[in-house]
Amino acid sequence: MITFSDVPSSEHGALPDSRSGARWSASAAAFTAWRAGDPDALEELVRLISPTLWQVVRATGVDRATAEDVVQNTWLALVDHADSVTNPMAVAGWLCTTARRDAWRVSKKIKREMATDDDVLGSALPSVAGPEDGLVLAEDKVVLRRCLARIDARCQALLRMLAAGPRPEYAEVSAALQMPVGSIGPTRARCLEKLRTELVSQGAS
Amino acid sequence: MTGHGPEDRSDEELLDAIADLWEELDPPPDDLAEGVLARIETNDLDAELLTLVEWDKELAGVRSVTMLRAPDEVGTWSLEYLGPGFRVQVRISRSQRQARLDGWVVPAQPMTVFLTSVGKNSSTVETRVGESGRFEFPVTPTGACRLTFVSDPSSSRPLVTPPFWI
Repeated sequence: MITFSDVPSSEHGALPDSRSGARWSASAAAFTAWRAGDPDALEELVRLISPTLWQVVRATGVDRATAEDVVQNTWLALVDHADSVTNPMAVAGWLCTTARRDAWRVSKKIKREMATDDDVLGSALPSVAGPEDGLVLAEDKVVLRRCLARIDARCQALLRMLAAGPRPEYAEVSAALQMPVGSIGPTRARCLEKLRTELVSQGAS
Repeated sequence: MTGHGPEDRSDEELLDAIADLWEELDPPPDDLAEGVLARIETNDLDAELLTLVEWDKELAGVRSVTMLRAPDEVGTWSLEYLGPGFRVQVRISRSQRQARLDGWVVPAQPMTVFLTSVGKNSSTVETRVGESGRFEFPVTPTGACRLTFVSDPSSSRPLVTPPFWI
């Protein structure tokens, strides 16, 4: 098992969270094999990381069809720029950062075209369009979902964005949400506190 | 209060729980990876990707139009793809042992058509478009396949369909 403490954070800025550890090591191995000439390893890498990219991209508020496009374009970017990923352990982070930036660029463009004055990203719970109808959630998730829906939409959007994939750098979030970098830490803390308050009031464990 | 209430959960634990929740609420399409692989492959080919515009609504398991899964049983079904100034209708008939594919391009033009199975043991069969615009593959590979159309003379980029299931 490779530990992540030796990954240079300066290379791409996004470190894996504890949930993605095993996937990150596997992605490094697949990337190395692909670069060494094994074409099947690219397919393995695509299958491994695309679900994470999906979450990262959807967290920016783009619709499902656009998200598919962004995920596809992200992989084309990797194929074109694989040389720039010098540390295989960084490939998943590189993909997530690339996908997130592209998704934000696209979502800004869409918002400009739709000329909405809505500054809240579309990832807030009440407006979610996705295949969640008929989904049966475990009880703790039902409670978490209810509590998330009770905090303001901007907090919901920020928390979803911060939660998806490897934790993004504040500078990136700042650009996407048009919030000063210095206020993201405090806003995150405030949003998480609101969520905790709701969880306590719902009697969550 | 003692122990493990929500007020004791760390920020990271809460964010992990939010990420887990969204993975359930908003899962990717089943064929997300297939779509990616098809895009990479098409990019390598330097070809024009055709768009699926019509398909039999009874085709099972259709979640996105990138990768169509045919029903497992035998039968006949149709697909239609559109590109710049180009349209192709495809009819696939599958019996117990093998499948055949009939196609029709509009406008009719001299072309070579390649039917390629996608994946590790890739195989290709080829045929020509007749004067009426029709072409046929009496025996096809099975599994995920794609059609590639090359004009004669090959003045423009090849046209290629996304993978579809035979």
